[in-house]
Amino acid sequence: MNFLEWYRVDRLPSIFCAGCGIGTVINCTLSAVTSMGWRRNDVVFLSGIGCSSRAPGYIRTDSLHTTHGRALAFATGVKLAEPRLNVILFTGDGDLAAIGGNHFIHACRRNIDLTVVCVNNYIYGMTGGQGSPTTPVGARSSTTPYGSTETPFDLSELAMAAGANYVSRWTPYHTKELTAAVKAGLETPGLSFIEVMTQCPTGYGRANRLRDVKEFMEIFRMRSMLKQKADRLLKEGKPVPPDAIVIGEFVRRSRPVMGRRG
Amino acid sequence: MVKDVPCMRLVIDENRCKGCNLCVLVCPYKIFREGKKPNRKGIVVPELDRPERCPNCRLRQLYGRTICGLCQLICPDQAIDWIGEEPYEHMKVAIEY
Repeated sequence: MNFLEWYRVDRLPSIFCAGCGIGTVINCTLSAVTSMGWRRNDVVFLSGIGCSSRAPGYIRTDSLHTTHGRALAFATGVKLAEPRLNVILFTGDGDLAAIGGNHFIHACRRNIDLTVVCVNNYIYGMTGGQGSPTTPVGARSSTTPYGSTETPFDLSELAMAAGANYVSRWTPYHTKELTAAVKAGLETPGLSFIEVMTQCPTGYGRANRLRDVKEFMEIFRMRSMLKQKADRLLKEGKPVPPDAIVIGEFVRRSRPVMGRRG
Repeated sequence: MVKDVPCMRLVIDENRCKGCNLCVLVCPYKIFREGKKPNRKGIVVPELDRPERCPNCRLRQLYGRTICGLCQLICPDQAIDWIGEEPYEHMKVAIEY
């Protein structure tokens, strides 16, 4: 079975801008779900509000499009009401880190059996490119026209510290690795958090001279650094470049899990 | 001996493609090329350069799995797919004596 069979063909082409990475993230997630051998009745997709949260509308399964930042709260309810279901969330950085930050750390603390795919595109894309908690220092956006001065959130470290069972970070350039990471997250009991650093050529790229998707992808290719290499650099006492995107699998452990029988 | 397996053909759905050219970036065989002429919707859809070189077209049925599939996986608009094609038939040549 191909992952294209999960799509609602009547809704395509999608609403996303040309070159947006969310379509790639949906492809990789559905590819992982296909390789798990699950049927249409076994999976529920949830989302909050934002660009990335339009994703479940294109998938032919049961889905919930919920209030801003509260997708994790709804997912907790779905999982506890019907533990048979495999719950997958699509959220964005503004959804998960900004307004839903408290839901996120407590979902990680409770370690509910969910898979969270966070599409981190550095800004609020849908409302016009405002700065979000993950906007890098010096990056321009609608609300930071002279460059952001705040330290951005590292969502993977937050999930690790809060107690998620599986945390990894990839980019849409690394499609096969991202598929494998989502599959590992689906197999791991407990909260699995997969952060995807996504390109946004329209909102983020327009303000930061990255309007061309190829240049954006080139950044992901050149600046991404595997976690093993970053650890080795730190061990040798060498500095990790500040603009490097550390990718890879950060943690996989078996803390006690909520919402799983047996 | 060549087994008689049904072939696949690489196609780009022009209704779904938005012309982001990510497939041009990732294809290891350089099958996709940036297009030149905008289509009916004003989108410059990539061109296919000798798509019969795609290994998935020939080997997917033989191996029973997707061989490379990078372009399909990275395409944000789900525009790339392989469709079945009738296997190549030898042309019948009438020999006149």
